[in-house]
Amino acid sequence: MLKADGVSFAYRAGATLVVNDVSLVIAPGELVGILGPNGSGKTTLLKMLAGTLTPSAGTIQFDRRPLSSWRRRDLARRIALVPQETHAPFDFTVLDIVLMGRFPHLGTFALEGPDDLAIAKQALASTGAWAFEDRPFATLSGGEKQRVVIASALAQSPELLLLDEPTTSLDLGHQLDVQLLLAALNHDRGVTMVLSTHDLNLAAALCRHLILLRAGRVVAQGPTEDVLTPETVRALYGVDADVRRHPVAGHLTVTPLARMP
Amino acid sequence: MLKALRHIWMVVVLAGVSLAQASPAAQRFGGAETRPKRIVSLVPAVTEMIYAMGDGGRVAAVSNYDHFPADVARLPRVGGLLDPSVERILAIKPDLVIVYATQKDLIERLDRAGIPYFNYQHKALPDILTTIRAIGARIGSTARADAVASGMERALEEIRGRTAALAHPATLLVFERDPASLRNVFASGGYGFLHDMLEIAGGRNVFANVRQQAVQASTEMLIASRPDVIIELLYGDSLKNADIAKELRAWDALPSVPAVRSHRISALTGDEFVVPGPRVVDATRKLARTLHPDAFK
Amino acid sequence: MPLIRRRLAATLLGFGLLLAAALVTGPLIGSTHISLARVFDGAIPFADNADAQIFFIARLPRVLAAALVGASLAAAGVVFQALLRNPLATPDTLGVSSGAALGAMLAITFHFNFAFAGIASIPLASFVGSIGALGIVYALASARRRGLSTIVLLLAGVTMTAFFQALILFTQYLADFADTFRTVRWLMGTLDVGSYAPILAALPIVLVAFAMLATLPRSLDLISLGTDAAAARGVNVLAAERLALASASLATGAAVSLAGPVGFIGLVVPHLVRLIVGSDHRLVLPASALFGAAFLIACDALARTIWSSGELPVGIVTALIGGPFFLWLLVRK
Repeated sequence: MLKADGVSFAYRAGATLVVNDVSLVIAPGELVGILGPNGSGKTTLLKMLAGTLTPSAGTIQFDRRPLSSWRRRDLARRIALVPQETHAPFDFTVLDIVLMGRFPHLGTFALEGPDDLAIAKQALASTGAWAFEDRPFATLSGGEKQRVVIASALAQSPELLLLDEPTTSLDLGHQLDVQLLLAALNHDRGVTMVLSTHDLNLAAALCRHLILLRAGRVVAQGPTEDVLTPETVRALYGVDADVRRHPVAGHLTVTPLARMP
Repeated sequence: MLKALRHIWMVVVLAGVSLAQASPAAQRFGGAETRPKRIVSLVPAVTEMIYAMGDGGRVAAVSNYDHFPADVARLPRVGGLLDPSVERILAIKPDLVIVYATQKDLIERLDRAGIPYFNYQHKALPDILTTIRAIGARIGSTARADAVASGMERALEEIRGRTAALAHPATLLVFERDPASLRNVFASGGYGFLHDMLEIAGGRNVFANVRQQAVQASTEMLIASRPDVIIELLYGDSLKNADIAKELRAWDALPSVPAVRSHRISALTGDEFVVPGPRVVDATRKLARTLHPDAFK
Repeated sequence: MPLIRRRLAATLLGFGLLLAAALVTGPLIGSTHISLARVFDGAIPFADNADAQIFFIARLPRVLAAALVGASLAAAGVVFQALLRNPLATPDTLGVSSGAALGAMLAITFHFNFAFAGIASIPLASFVGSIGALGIVYALASARRRGLSTIVLLLAGVTMTAFFQALILFTQYLADFADTFRTVRWLMGTLDVGSYAPILAALPIVLVAFAMLATLPRSLDLISLGTDAAAARGVNVLAAERLALASASLATGAAVSLAGPVGFIGLVVPHLVRLIVGSDHRLVLPASALFGAAFLIACDALARTIWSSGELPVGIVTALIGGPFFLWLLVRK
């Protein structure tokens, strides 16, 4: 579905490459994590995959067509981006925000109709946020806001969902909520997902495939079991860690033990 | 030069507007100096008064805006209402400085320097005469000052007498507006020496009921006031007659105004209209001639 | 919640009626009593009909000018607030107003005396000043990176405003007394245009600006949540931001040239409108334009009648209403 070939990015010609020669393939239905420390280029890579940043080198193809050849709006009907934080400077209600997700399907002058409203409400229901419909977005907690923003992305009816650090600013309970939500969306509705995170355990719990990024370069990529090892953790974070399958949860867990000199 | 006189007029209006805050007319007598010989005058009106009394020889320096009589051309300048140059004033070593009541900073400095000053306040026409006598007393020319003032009083009474029996047309006296348009029109209100001159000259100020020196008249107010005569006090560096005529055509925008219909719009130029001194008599006579041409050939 | 379609129709109808009411009653209000019968009496020649002259020469142009200026400033306020993602932004924030003021100040102080296409020098210089300010701010904001950086835009705007204010003060210092007085009065804002010519001169610019604005509302909604999210939803963010900046600045420039810098409309009207219709820009933008027009007509009517010995500059009325309103807004948040 989505293929990146030797993609690099620098903010200015001649400046340091934030993303350096990254190649990856995302197949339909996958749940992929881009894992790396802060500053490893995860967000930049995600934005390039979404089409909002143009690579300085390399190509990205969606559905076997170069991203640059897609019309903005057509692409937005297929790919949705959930940014790390959403701040509403005006008193938009939750429903207002979710309805904005219908924009790529409507255009500049078209107004939302009953179908759009139904899709929006369904998106809210699937993220468990239907109760907040009329509340001002600004009054919600971090976790609630995140669910609304995900609902807004779902209202775009995308095939591919890109999420930038979806749980980073949330507390434990809300982290788990979002984690379960994303797993369900992927499993039940077949939404392909790519999320960026620096939380090793979230990546291990949620994602079946991982792309490990350090200083803009791919350190390793592939199925989580194969890729998440003490060696790669050491390479990525400079930390000696224990990686083992959790007896109750069933997925890999990473426990840091010592800092490497 | 004439343009600067409009400046003076605004000065005069605003000096009057700040009436409420000004301290009561204060005169400071410095020791036994009752016949000052080195007078610095920041107020053109008072400069003219002093010259009219024949004491022009005792004036050592004047303001940037003094232009009458011709003798002042050779005198040094020391600034004006807003920007008096304290340095230059002190350099003259004056024994009397004529200041505006609102020039508080200057007054403070003169106090500290121990220099006597005369506090000038501008109000209405009767105050001009009072001021002449007061200045006369201050500089020790009481008799001559009284002669000047009395002469003016008689002249004004004579004009008033001639116009008393005539019908006083409703008059709009405009002293300021945007060029080539009727925006930001400022006319004389029912107070101040312009108003007094107008009444003596036999006109009825359309804004007589407004207790202000200056009225900013909107388009609606201009139409509603229905003046029979419009007199504009125009200034400009050598305005030619053709230019004046062009300016006056701005009033054609309001054809329902009686003055416009009967073409009774006049422009008067001359600095005697902005300096509330001895030449108000000339100014009043010119106004009277404009309003009642038959009575004042 | 009713669909956007119904809400839009209701909003346009409601605020449209409000504006219609203001347009009709505006010319009836004034310091002089006039008889409507006489105004429309065709038998009396216009040149003799003082009532008709007051209605058609003094009052009607004022009302139309108020509508044009109110609509322009309110709409510009909405757009600037969305562009800068800040509900406290105003048409003054980016220096456009100050540029216009500087232009007018220079024209008054140095007695510019040229006219172009029937427009007098002061409004012309004022408009040029506003566009100049826009140009500088835009150049600064797009200089360093691809796209339009909002933060740089804001900083550039604040800096230019401060710089222009300094130039304005300097010009006032150089001016002679009468000109200073004139500029101070100009800065208070006045709608007493006295003829239709200035309105007709400003109208094409405002219409162009509004045509540009018409495509923006939904994009503004999306952009206000963040440019990345908006881009990912299909908005051409750079084009939209440029269009927003240009159209709002044109509208502001035209309004300030016509009536001087009338304050608080761009700040108060969008806030009031949002309290009534919510935050969707497809509702807020047209509603603010309509309400801004009606609001300024009302303020001008007040300015004309509240002062017994003359008329207040309309900028004073908007400030006296806007200031306390704004304080109240801050307190209740």
